[in-house]
Amino acid sequence: MTLQNIQDKLIQGIAAITAKDGSSIAPDVPFHKLGIDSLGFVEILVFIEKTFNLQLIESGLDKKDFETIRSLAAFIHKKL
Amino acid sequence: MGFVIPSSKNKRYLSGSDWVINLLDYIMKQTTCAGNMSQVVLALDSVIKHSELQNHLIRFTNEFPIVRGSITRDINICPYWRIPEKAEGNLKLTSYNCPGDGDLWTLLGKCVNKPFKDDSEHLAFHLINIENRKSCLAMTFDHRLFDARGAETFLKLFQQYLENNHDPAISTGIPSTAPAYLSEWIRKFLAGRNVNRKIVSLSKNPPGALPVPGDKSKEFKFRLITFNQQETQTIYENAYKAAGYLMEMPYLLTVIMQAVSELFTRRNARADSYLAAVSIDMRTSEDVKQELFFNHVSYLFFQAQCDIINNQKELTNIIKMQMYEQVKAGIPRDIMEASHLTRIAPLPFLKKIIDVPLKGKIATFIFSHVSKNILSPEIMGTGIENVFHMPRVPVPPGLGFFSNYFNGRLNLVISFLDGMLTNEEVHILEAGIKEGLTACQKG
Repeated sequence: MTLQNIQDKLIQGIAAITAKDGSSIAPDVPFHKLGIDSLGFVEILVFIEKTFNLQLIESGLDKKDFETIRSLAAFIHKKL
Repeated sequence: MGFVIPSSKNKRYLSGSDWVINLLDYIMKQTTCAGNMSQVVLALDSVIKHSELQNHLIRFTNEFPIVRGSITRDINICPYWRIPEKAEGNLKLTSYNCPGDGDLWTLLGKCVNKPFKDDSEHLAFHLINIENRKSCLAMTFDHRLFDARGAETFLKLFQQYLENNHDPAISTGIPSTAPAYLSEWIRKFLAGRNVNRKIVSLSKNPPGALPVPGDKSKEFKFRLITFNQQETQTIYENAYKAAGYLMEMPYLLTVIMQAVSELFTRRNARADSYLAAVSIDMRTSEDVKQELFFNHVSYLFFQAQCDIINNQKELTNIIKMQMYEQVKAGIPRDIMEASHLTRIAPLPFLKKIIDVPLKGKIATFIFSHVSKNILSPEIMGTGIENVFHMPRVPVPPGLGFFSNYFNGRLNLVISFLDGMLTNEEVHILEAGIKEGLTACQKG
């Protein structure tokens, strides 16, 4: 799966979780600025497990890897 | 008003979540001085004129006849909210003069503990002048009308109404009706099975709970813990170091659970585990305005054995994993779905049923964290310094912790039934939480 595919899938999933239009979700905006809280973020992690078969809740949730869609897509790409 | 045959226009079917809230209201009226009520408080930097505010509030609330509704059952036995044709009856705005900050809490407590006069009154406003320099606007609301986020959104609409030159169309686009959810029974029963399994697994280690005073006239008491912007920043940094990005809620819950455990230890009260029931908002930020009224909450449950309570790292991980597993298993959705089934049961009967699995110990405490602030920084030309919530907690457990974020600051309110905690114990809780949240965390 390419990095772009992962990013597109993440945007799709986050759009469904936040009930926002996917085209309005910028990949470089930090999740907290998208109005996502702890519960919303856990929903995203569950979406990642269901879509990419990766469980990330125990990974430390480092900002460097988890703060934006772009960094998260890169992190997932590395793990796959 | 004469008898009106309800049509779909003035009938709003209650969801399962609404019926659970009605049950809590019923239980609270049986066990305390009033029902399942809460209060949003806006701390203002100057004073507001009573008459001006009252006029605005009357005009605004008249846009919403739904706020004067009452509950009844339909011919299909589904309970519904009967909406009057007009918002009749004057809105209640009471003014008080408070000689100093010290008496403010007594007054605010009095406001939220005062029962509504009848079953069609669900809102009351209070204006408290503090030494003619500052003031507080408190909106007391019946949880059957809206949940905490709905209440904040209602105040946000009031702000918009004031800003938009009193546009009477402010209520346009808010649907006042809802379907009866009398279909997809298999889905509801399967959800019920999942919820039942969850409750059975929680009941294997009965949670510790503080004894509830038997006196029905008891009121709720409150303690507000405020953190300034710098302290709040430290707390968020600590949450990041201890739990990871965006994991404030598990971090707050960890620290609160540890403070509660300390209280049990000091009392020599034996408990195998502690159980926190956490109410969560099931709406996205996009649909709050459309789903302003009634209840859109569900619950997550966090249980920790006593022997790991003092290990903050392990407790944080357990709470994070429990949150993850419950979201993955769809427990919050299942609770909402399954609760539709409860609507058939009359409230006294339902109360007996829910007491059975956990032997009346529903949780050690209740927790809720509102991470988003939606209110504008001023109202009627007056600056809002702070916003916080004062909920009367369902009994049992009669003890709750409610945090919210406003203007870069974190607030945490401890709410408890009078007689459950001594003043000294409240100090211990407050000190434990403050120290736990602001102490330096290792990176």
